Amino acid sequence: MDIGLIAQQTVNGLMLGLIYSLVAVGFTLFFGVLDVIKFSHGDMLTWGVFTAFSVYLGLTLIGLAAPVLILVIVALVAMAAIGFLGAAIAKVLIIPLKGAPPLNTLLITLMLGTVLRESIRLFYPDGANPKHFPALLPDWSHSWGHFTLRFDNALMLLTGLLMIVLVQLVIKRTKLGMAIRAVSQDEETARVMGINFNLVVYVTFAIGSALAAFAGVIYVLYYNELSFNMGLLLGAIGFSAAAVGGFGNIYGAIVGGFLFAMLQSIGAAALPFASAYKDVFAFGVVIVLIAVKPTGILGEKETERV
Amino acid sequence: MEKKVSALSVRGIYTGYDRADVIEDLSLEVEEGTITCLLGNNGSGKTTVIRSILGLTPPRAGRILFHDADITHLATHKIVRLGLASIPEGRKVFPGLTVEENLRLGGYQEDDKEVLLARMQKVYALFPRLEERSTQLAGTMSGGEQAMVSIGRGLMGAPKLLIIDEPSLGLSPLLVKENFRIIQSIREQNITVFLVEQNVRQTLAISDYGYVLSKGRVVAQGSADTLRDNEEVRQAYFG
Repeated sequence: MDIGLIAQQTVNGLMLGLIYSLVAVGFTLFFGVLDVIKFSHGDMLTWGVFTAFSVYLGLTLIGLAAPVLILVIVALVAMAAIGFLGAAIAKVLIIPLKGAPPLNTLLITLMLGTVLRESIRLFYPDGANPKHFPALLPDWSHSWGHFTLRFDNALMLLTGLLMIVLVQLVIKRTKLGMAIRAVSQDEETARVMGINFNLVVYVTFAIGSALAAFAGVIYVLYYNELSFNMGLLLGAIGFSAAAVGGFGNIYGAIVGGFLFAMLQSIGAAALPFASAYKDVFAFGVVIVLIAVKPTGILGEKETERV
Repeated sequence: MEKKVSALSVRGIYTGYDRADVIEDLSLEVEEGTITCLLGNNGSGKTTVIRSILGLTPPRAGRILFHDADITHLATHKIVRLGLASIPEGRKVFPGLTVEENLRLGGYQEDDKEVLLARMQKVYALFPRLEERSTQLAGTMSGGEQAMVSIGRGLMGAPKLLIIDEPSLGLSPLLVKENFRIIQSIREQNITVFLVEQNVRQTLAISDYGYVLSKGRVVAQGSADTLRDNEEVRQAYFG
């Protein structure tokens, strides 16, 4: 295999890894503060993408012609809207179920995911069919032999990495992050320290959901296509990435996301079967990894979470 | 004689989990500037009393006043904001946070960095060991050191009233002695102390006033001296 192809696969893998990591971080944050698995997370990403698409259509309609400006507005609106939706879901559906068996939360969010997904298919204009998302970034590129680096890909990668670093800084360095970590480790003692538990949960769900919307926007810029069920597989992958990395551990979620993308790339490019089997291969390895180490690669030793 | 000011007043509370009441018609007063203790065996309802005061398990009936403010049904973080802090049973440090972060959480309600820094210096002066270990994860420390973190964390909020739940639990006799010495010094910082303990002898030695709890009811109360001489208490607890 030549170097150009390897480089191309690497960029592709990094891009996917970034998207998976961003989704996985959401799963791990929710699990941290509330010990819940929120299965509607992938469909929140879909809603983020459709919000972004709608805002794009609206802005074009009123005659805004600067694509980069459109993109910035589109991304910010999608993140804000989905962040708000995430906090609202936490308030209305998830906090009230605290104290109930975890299975109930799991079922409720699973059903919520279906509702979110199907409501796009049924109520969004022509929602059942995939739509084209325009390339809003300039299409500059540079070629080295067989390898072409697209400027928009590089920019997306960079922005995504900055976002991960930013989240990491918020969690590790700010007072809010300290409160999130405290709640993750011992909810009751955190309350006794004077932390407003519900508020921390809302904010955490807002952050996680906004990250999903952000991941969705990157995904749709990369593939230029959106559909009502795009969040299903992304949610499943994000969940697996969080599980492989070790639930409740942010580094684990990031490592898990990139690991999954790497497995897909290996499955697609390096193994002697059709690339359609790449997901089968990647999920298969995930199953083995979880069977070998159920707490995840960076599994928590009871002391480490978020 | 000084005017008596009530720091905490619990008036006829009934608290329970699900249906059964653990605490029945319990009343007690903690006077400002004192060390008041609540004595009782395992299962007598001590922890439930604390949970009621902190709003973790609000009482079904009755009232709780903190410096004349009704806190009976206030959310925990709002009660804490009024100046009530606690050192929980079993220390409950945040194991995955550093010593310094644990202390900062104790002062979570305070936004002024200078004030927090000054308080942290005071805690470090009390426990030099914590300053040496400020970047260590609290979960990796010994039981005695975790007790220091927990006490320091309670002081970081500069509370008006500090509730201390079973400080001697699981500590060696030497550390227990040290802990009681520190509790006495806390009172000297003008912090009222509500001390909940099983260790009768040492607790009464540093307390001003005490209540004895049995099966969710106050069965005896009085000044520490009276309680020491009280025949019932003597029989029930001193053996």
